[in-house]
Amino acid sequence: MPPTPSAAPDRAHPPKPIPVPDEASAGFWEATARNELAIQGCQHCGHLMHPPRTMCTGCQSTKPAFEWKVVSGRGRVRSWTTIRQALLPAFAADVPYTVAMVELYEQAGLIMTGQLHDIDLADITLDMPVRAEYTELSQGVKVPHFVPVTT
Amino acid sequence: MTSAGRFLAAGKVAIAGFAHSPVTRVEQMPLGVLTIETIKGAVADAGVTLDMIDGFSTASALVSSSGRDVVDGIHTVSSDWVVSQLGLEPRWVVGFQGIGQVSASFMLAVEAIASGAVDYAVVHRAMHNPSGSYHANPMVEAHGSAQWEAPQGMWGPPTYMALPYMEYLQRYGARREDLAEIVVAQREAGAAYPWSYWKDDPITVDDYMSARMIADPMSILDCDIPVNGVAAFVLTTAERVRDLPNNPVYVRGSAMGTRRSSNMLADFAMDNIIAGGKHTASKLWQSSGLRPDEVDVPQIYDGFSPVLWFWLEALGYAPDGQGYQFAKDPVATAGMTFRTGGGSIGTGRMHGVPQLLETYLQLSRRAGERQLNRADVGIACHGLPHAGAAIALTAEPN
Repeated sequence: MPPTPSAAPDRAHPPKPIPVPDEASAGFWEATARNELAIQGCQHCGHLMHPPRTMCTGCQSTKPAFEWKVVSGRGRVRSWTTIRQALLPAFAADVPYTVAMVELYEQAGLIMTGQLHDIDLADITLDMPVRAEYTELSQGVKVPHFVPVTT
Repeated sequence: MTSAGRFLAAGKVAIAGFAHSPVTRVEQMPLGVLTIETIKGAVADAGVTLDMIDGFSTASALVSSSGRDVVDGIHTVSSDWVVSQLGLEPRWVVGFQGIGQVSASFMLAVEAIASGAVDYAVVHRAMHNPSGSYHANPMVEAHGSAQWEAPQGMWGPPTYMALPYMEYLQRYGARREDLAEIVVAQREAGAAYPWSYWKDDPITVDDYMSARMIADPMSILDCDIPVNGVAAFVLTTAERVRDLPNNPVYVRGSAMGTRRSSNMLADFAMDNIIAGGKHTASKLWQSSGLRPDEVDVPQIYDGFSPVLWFWLEALGYAPDGQGYQFAKDPVATAGMTFRTGGGSIGTGRMHGVPQLLETYLQLSRRAGERQLNRADVGIACHGLPHAGAAIALTAEPN
């Protein structure tokens, strides 16, 4: 094996993976950078989709037309998992951490995942209300996570 | 008389023989070479010769999330690779890429034989175990579908699978202890299976309850162990199989799940798995003309142990939310994966092979000490109920 050049990435402590926006997803990441959650909506039928798609799975129109709908960022916890072995080495130092599957209130079955912060494991319950917050991963790139809604 | 959705070639295509390589964690020879050796073994077992095989089918995907390079003949073995190495000129060479893997590639061969495009087909599955962690991925940029998961620290099938498992426990009041009994049964069955990585190596409930957790509630013992190994089956027509040495096993019908969309994580919501799985099951019963209570050997899929519960409910063996209790009934579940054969958890990550092979062995009366008294009808399922596939097999052609 040749010696590792000093400029090479540190494979033992890689940085967290940065989402790379593409044509379909750019609007989502532009919104999170403003601390907003925006979901792709069909201009024909109003169906919301996450992740964004190239065609509406609600009306199947072959003349797709989309807009970014800013949503409340609120939803209910459908499920969760506490990660104890990080399959992404960048998260090895963070274990244990919890990722929730959240159904957003704006549409039945509209599911997204995100880390669940600010709660003890023992206090997480099915259907508990949560809202989105945002973590800056690198300059101008923010990733949503969820926190409990306290009444 | 025909009914909607019925498989018109039911009973016209049969399994004539098989071979299975040893399974190992570290490969003993290049996977392609092991594949050729196993195919030759299956052809000999079926009582035919390689020059008679005029059709080849496989599902060659390496379903690892590690993002490593994949080289045909080394990490995967396509039918194209097999045919090119053997210098054959068969009439028909295909492959299936997707999540129904073994079942779908098997049915491609069945359909080719039923149509007369092929007289004798080999279906193989070659599994490679990458060095290092199976799904670990050092990515620093998350492109495409990864952008919705990796930046949150969500990665790899065991973590996806933890979500419906947790939802099931929470919604129905099931506990990890309920699955412990089933995984123990799985490993006990696998300990008696000749090609098992876990041969003579059962576990206890305590082992399960104290196993290393990957992503709550998934432990290391809820995941089948990645292995190197190859299995191959020889198929031919019902007419030709009568002249061959083994008891034939006939293809009665099949079904494919269709929830294989790009939105992987939403597809792992428990309701989606069960609702889509009921579509798969309904197609299976329509295609085969069978009912669940007519199946002696229901080899349901278990690559992740909670999937057993989902298949039981999707197939109609138990009402929603009661699969975990039904699974504990040793009489009602006598021919199932976790009682005989051992499935994937009990034997190793050969994808749908253990389920298909045990169904074949039981129905052809080749299961040795595991032989069930009543084994005339079987189903072999693979994958998650909404995204996978299933094949119905019978010991008699009609």
